[in-house]
Amino acid sequence: MAVYKRGYQRYQGPVTGHYTRLMAMPRYAWERLFQQRLMIVLTAVSCLWPLLCAVFIYISNHSELWAGLGGGLKKMLAIDAAFFLVYMNVQSAFCILLAALAGPGLIAPDLSNNALPLYFSRPLSRLDYVAARMMTLIGMLSLVTWLPGLILFGMQIGMANSGWFAAHWHYGAGLIAGFFIWILIVSMVALASSAYVKWRLIAGALILGFFFVLAGAARMINGIFRVEWGSVINPAMAAYTVWCALLGKEIPEGMDISTSLLCLGGLIAALGLILERKLRPVEVIS
Amino acid sequence: MTTRFRARQAWTIATLEMRRAFFSKRAFWVYLLAFFPAFIFIGHGVSLQWQIKRFNARGKVAPAIIDSFKPGMTEREIIALAGNPQSDHEYTRRQREDDDEDESTGKRVIVEKTLHIRFLEYWDGNRRSYLRFENGVLKSARTRNPFDFQEDRSVYAGVFQLFYLRLAIFFGCLGIFMNLFRGEMLDKTLHFWFLAPARREVLLVGKYLAGLTASSVIFTSGALLSFFAVLWPHSGMEVQAFWQGPGVEHMLRYALAAALGCVGYGSVFLAAGLLLRNPIIPAAVLLVWEGINGFLPDILQKLSVLYYLQSLCPVPAPLESDTPALLKLILAPAAPASPWLAVPGLLVVTVLVLWAAAQAVKRLEINYSTE
Repeated sequence: MAVYKRGYQRYQGPVTGHYTRLMAMPRYAWERLFQQRLMIVLTAVSCLWPLLCAVFIYISNHSELWAGLGGGLKKMLAIDAAFFLVYMNVQSAFCILLAALAGPGLIAPDLSNNALPLYFSRPLSRLDYVAARMMTLIGMLSLVTWLPGLILFGMQIGMANSGWFAAHWHYGAGLIAGFFIWILIVSMVALASSAYVKWRLIAGALILGFFFVLAGAARMINGIFRVEWGSVINPAMAAYTVWCALLGKEIPEGMDISTSLLCLGGLIAALGLILERKLRPVEVIS
Repeated sequence: MTTRFRARQAWTIATLEMRRAFFSKRAFWVYLLAFFPAFIFIGHGVSLQWQIKRFNARGKVAPAIIDSFKPGMTEREIIALAGNPQSDHEYTRRQREDDDEDESTGKRVIVEKTLHIRFLEYWDGNRRSYLRFENGVLKSARTRNPFDFQEDRSVYAGVFQLFYLRLAIFFGCLGIFMNLFRGEMLDKTLHFWFLAPARREVLLVGKYLAGLTASSVIFTSGALLSFFAVLWPHSGMEVQAFWQGPGVEHMLRYALAAALGCVGYGSVFLAAGLLLRNPIIPAAVLLVWEGINGFLPDILQKLSVLYYLQSLCPVPAPLESDTPALLKLILAPAAPASPWLAVPGLLVVTVLVLWAAAQAVKRLEINYSTE
């Protein structure tokens, strides 16, 4: 289309800083998300398990409460890598549910209402847009993952003997790094689903289905072929292997750490490619 | 207006909707879910045929030699006894012992040992023996017949109940049935249906019939194709004996379970699409509910679609070997319902859910701006 009238002039005045611009979108998105009662309920439910874990840590560090209940209990109540792995496993499931609820509303409405040109006409690149959307999810998922995990870790440091932190600092580091990897994957899946299907409803189902169906398909392949390599299509299993390595627990049979990292890296790259293809400021209609 | 006239109206709506349910672009992933297990079973059959050819070409050992492998034997002893293996893999890994804590300093003590692991494989014409050595000593010898018919049927039962019913049919129905009303709302086309001279309950029944026909055909075909793919690589004798015995009954039971899965999940998702603006929440809740089904008390297990569907399955799903001991302990599946109870029970629940959906569709006011 020929443009005859050129009344538009680019804004030449001062602009806010890059970080401020980047954070504008998550700020509004968080506000909107936490206006939904359902989101608040799910976030609250997601915090129940950390609360139970806190009680567990309290009991574990007060041996007088279970002194007469046998020696095997000490091992069962130990705050070790297995404890943090169970915590991470449970919270990672809540992560998926929260992402399925919050993720579809991040990109799909912008695409279905052709709002992307409005974003990209501002001093905001495509990468900024994706980063801003991802920040929304990272912030929200952090509330139920590494933040309560760090509180639990701090609680254990405070209650255990003085040498505990020096000997087990890697649990805290592993918890943060492990959850960061998981949040990154879940966020990428949520954003890619939201960009791919445009419909919030289907995008939500796709996020749920992605993790559950892939886990099921991996188990099916392993069961039918009597192998272990089927787990390469299961991002949850790959992440679990990485968590085990980070927390110093023995890696489960099936996938080694390099294969797991390769799978997760490949998955993130593939999802990034989907976002790159779908998020265009202009659309060519043939 | 007679019931017969309304039934004809519902069928007209169903035929119009069916084309969309079967052939829309969005239906492709439903086909993928339905036929993926069949594809994997066929792949397994092909790989078995190829492996057997390769094993036979590389030579066999006597069955007595395979029976003589005992843990504690060394690599040299085994190779001297059985000769060159079919395959030979080895690697070295570091194994961490359980962390211990120094009582006085509180420091963590880690004990690591280096393990040289080697796998040898032998073939006696019927059985494969998979030997695992640690530092040159045989730790485990796993011998199995790759054409074990019973084992394959058990694997199929596991795939059908754990993947097909819980995930494939669940998500397939989620896509098909939620699309019937909620999809039209998102496409802003539902008012065209509401302008047609048909009662809304008739519209609901018509759309449900369309979804049910599409999902039942797709998923029942997928289940049957997988069933035949399991039988295909096995010898004619075993398969013939199976068909003369319980084969037909098993096939029909699996097909019925798949179709009833579509009936049950379909009604729930259709109602969820009408009653709630975001049906993903009930879907997630249902997914979790069905997932923890085996751990619930008997009475609660009976409040799930899966319980009735699993009651129809002829072979119980095997428990996965990597299930933690604690979970195995609390896993208490309820006694399966009789088919005479399971089928009518599920149908009654479906009718109740559809009745609730019909009440919702009668009151439905379209406001596309809120979608």
